[in-house]
Amino acid sequence: MKKLVTRRELLGLIAVTGASGAVLNASSALDIVPNTRLDIPEIPFVNPSNRPSVVILGAGISGLTAAYELRKAGYDVVILEAAAKAGGRNLTVRSGDVIDEVGNPQVCEFDDEPHMYFNAGPARIPSTHRNLLHYCRELGVELEIFINENKEAYYQDDAMLGGKPIKNTEFTTNARGFMSEIMAKSFNNHELDQPFDEWEAEALLGAIRSFGDLSEGDLYKGSTRSGYAKGGYLDHGVQKDMVAFRELLKSRYMNNALNANEGETGPVLFQPVGGMDNIVKGFVRKLEDKIHYNVMVSSVQLTDDGVDVAYEHDGLKYKLQADYCLNSIPTHLMTGIDNNFPAEYTEAMNYVRRGEAYKSAFQTKERFWEKDDIYGGITWLNQPIQQIWYPSHGVFKKKGVILSAYDFGGGMHFTRLSQEQRLEAAIKQGEKVHPDYRGQVEKGITIAWHRMNHMLGCAARWQRNRSGMTHEEERLFHTLRQPAGGRHYTIGDQITVHSGWQESAILSAHWAIADMVSRRAGSSAMPGQRIS
Amino acid sequence: MRAPAKILMFAIIFQSAVVAPAMAQQYSAIDTNIQPLSNKICATCHGAYGKGNAVVGAPSLAGLESWYLRAQLIKFRDSMRGIQKDYIPGHEMRAAVAEMSEAEMDGVIASIGTWDSQPSATTVSGDAVRGAELYSNCAACHGVSAAGNQALGAPGLAGRDDWYLRRQLKLFQSGYRGEHPEDLAGAQMRAAAKLLESDQDINDVLVHINSLN
Ligand SMILES: Cc1cc2nc3c(=O)[nH]c(=O)nc-3n(C[C@H](O)[C@H](O)[C@H](O)COP(=O)(O)OP(=O)(O)OC[C@H]3O[C@@H](n4cnc5c(N)ncnc54)[C@H](O)[C@@H]3O)c2cc1C
Ligand code: HEC
Ligand code: HEC
Repeated sequence: MKKLVTRRELLGLIAVTGASGAVLNASSALDIVPNTRLDIPEIPFVNPSNRPSVVILGAGISGLTAAYELRKAGYDVVILEAAAKAGGRNLTVRSGDVIDEVGNPQVCEFDDEPHMYFNAGPARIPSTHRNLLHYCRELGVELEIFINENKEAYYQDDAMLGGKPIKNTEFTTNARGFMSEIMAKSFNNHELDQPFDEWEAEALLGAIRSFGDLSEGDLYKGSTRSGYAKGGYLDHGVQKDMVAFRELLKSRYMNNALNANEGETGPVLFQPVGGMDNIVKGFVRKLEDKIHYNVMVSSVQLTDDGVDVAYEHDGLKYKLQADYCLNSIPTHLMTGIDNNFPAEYTEAMNYVRRGEAYKSAFQTKERFWEKDDIYGGITWLNQPIQQIWYPSHGVFKKKGVILSAYDFGGGMHFTRLSQEQRLEAAIKQGEKVHPDYRGQVEKGITIAWHRMNHMLGCAARWQRNRSGMTHEEERLFHTLRQPAGGRHYTIGDQITVHSGWQESAILSAHWAIADMVSRRAGSSAMPGQRIS
Repeated sequence: MRAPAKILMFAIIFQSAVVAPAMAQQYSAIDTNIQPLSNKICATCHGAYGKGNAVVGAPSLAGLESWYLRAQLIKFRDSMRGIQKDYIPGHEMRAAVAEMSEAEMDGVIASIGTWDSQPSATTVSGDAVRGAELYSNCAACHGVSAAGNQALGAPGLAGRDDWYLRRQLKLFQSGYRGEHPEDLAGAQMRAAAKLLESDQDINDVLVHINSLN
């Protein structure tokens, strides 16, 4: 006898077929999408005549957040930043900007116009990232909608349809049609509806039919949801031909076309008007005199009652003492910096591996995608470039900046190529979707995060395999999260279980501040200085 | 409670405040044409003052003989070392110096010469007695006390990062280093590396080298 399908399994089946949003909401206990809450630490004001000093290493989002909050509460803060500007991985590139890649420094030659920028690091802000949005509001960073999924963009896979690109809407409409036909058939197959009463079964069948736009007899016969072949306004519309399900099955995109926009990259997403680094600029406006650039930290020493930091600037060496240190220097770079951290702390830092990420972009002569009904969104290609992003902003302007490759978590293939080879590969692969691509692109830039000066990586890798953190990895992670000597905090998205998001970088700073404040409250209850 | 952050040299603070408002400074582009390849770029990978960084795979540079430094920088620059795309550490080191001029090289070597070298922490374990025997094959070139021999182009090995030496021995053995027709010194060492027949041999000889420091 066949096994009955339980509700849980059926929900699972629906998740696989694309309606996973519903499942995610219904089961937040599974923690698939982290739930953020607004979590601004409450920091008691300090006595202005006796202000604790905090040295913050790195002016990325985590360091800026920490400095901003602590300064508001009266702390004496200073940020030391190795690069010539603030932001770290929050990097927007415009005309004249330098991309400081080891061995491949580039100067951006885009036209000097407000909409001609490229977000080389973060580009999307999910609407659930409350803490980041809180700072956008507080710092006056104007936002606009970022479009992630566009039904008029394409999927392209050499294994499918002879390599011919297919519009997202045709791909997903046909995939859903065929899948719901299968679901409807098996559902009518009685054994399946056993866990449901009549009403439930009817409701579910209705949902399945509508999910795939099934015709009479629960058959999928194509759908006008993917647009008409012709007509539809003045004359009756002619439905497009169905795409054979077998063709779609040949593509790896069957695995993610229906869920590419769930979870954190699901709508609604935002981007700052004019570039992601407007968030950085917002912080910098509040902290101007507190940030020192081109300052390379060379030593971090814990002392009995604070932290000593040595650094170099313009060939001169300096030393600075502070009560606390919040350190966002990537752990894989911190391992090359003198320190007297406890052995288990060093062990944890030595364990983390550099993450990989690669992006590239072109300025284009025209906004050729608009002639193809594309405004914003992503085309997916089963090529090393993986994605082409059309700008969500600047509609109808003459030119635009198009993302021409994006591999988050990989991209070493491009990293090892020369600049010319990288751009040529991006053009060749892009031509598979836009035949006139080569004639349209001009002025390319590339960002290989694995080789960026003072960064040498992207999202920190705590796991050696994909199956989650081992006990040992958990131990190392929690070791590094605790303050060394009660005075030195590692911060940044690197010390969260959700690296690769600015929200995580912010929450790491909040966590460290809250911990510091509570320790101080515990230790300084008595007036004066403790002497034994 | 302690005094507020004490910046022992105040010069930098006032300098940056006076010379340029922070906002302007923030976006002043580095002119890549005039910015010399500074030792800063080496420090990103090789650690502060060239102390070495095993996580990046970049060895300590402090204390390296200047003639050996130069020889290796030339090999990386002129595509005799680090050209294999599937060996990321070598490939990224090559990228770092691919455009290096002679003058830049002189400058970098001079500044590395001022860095204090500390003997590296040891990480390998093995049989010191076997290691001493195996090392008799090496002493002719690297010296009995592993202090190196400039005439033969063989660098000092004592006190170096053992994880790095181990990796280099494997690179020599597998033909990733010393295989370029013009890399004569590398070819010699490549032949010598084949005298070590197992991982155990490599560990043992490194234990001996560590003991020479
Ligand atoms: C390609 C890419 C795409 C991304 N997409 C998104 C996205 O869409 N949305 C999103 O929210 N997030 C995204 N992220 C993640 C986001 O960029 C990071 O989570 C966040 O910027 C990390 O901030 P941080 O402060 O933790 O670290 P960082 O920004 O890495 O800051 C570390 C700082 O330390 C400095 N430093 C290094 N060495 C020294 C030294 N010796 N002395 C002094 N300072 C030093 C560095 O210069 C740097 O400024 C993306 C990242 C990348 C790379
Ligand atoms: C992107 C990171 C990176 C940068 C930047 C970098 N290096 Fe390296 N370097 C490495 C790595 C990794 C190795 C080890 C290569 C190997 O395993 O073959 C290395 C090896 C070397 C060696 C060979 C040492 C030996 O014992 O043979 C020398 C010399 C060297 N680097 C000097 C420099 C100098 C000088 C600079 C600055 C101009 C520099 N490096 C910049 C990563 C880097
Ligand atoms: C015939 C002379 C010779 C002998 C014998 C020899 N070496 Fe070498 N070795 C060299 C030379 C020359 C180099 C430098 C190669 C180069 O310039 O790339 C070198 C380089 C090395 C390096 C790389 C150091 C660095 O900084 O990257 C290691 C490790 C090493 N030798 C270990 C050994 C060991 C162990 C033995 C004995 C088993 C040995 N060598 C025997 C000549 C020799």
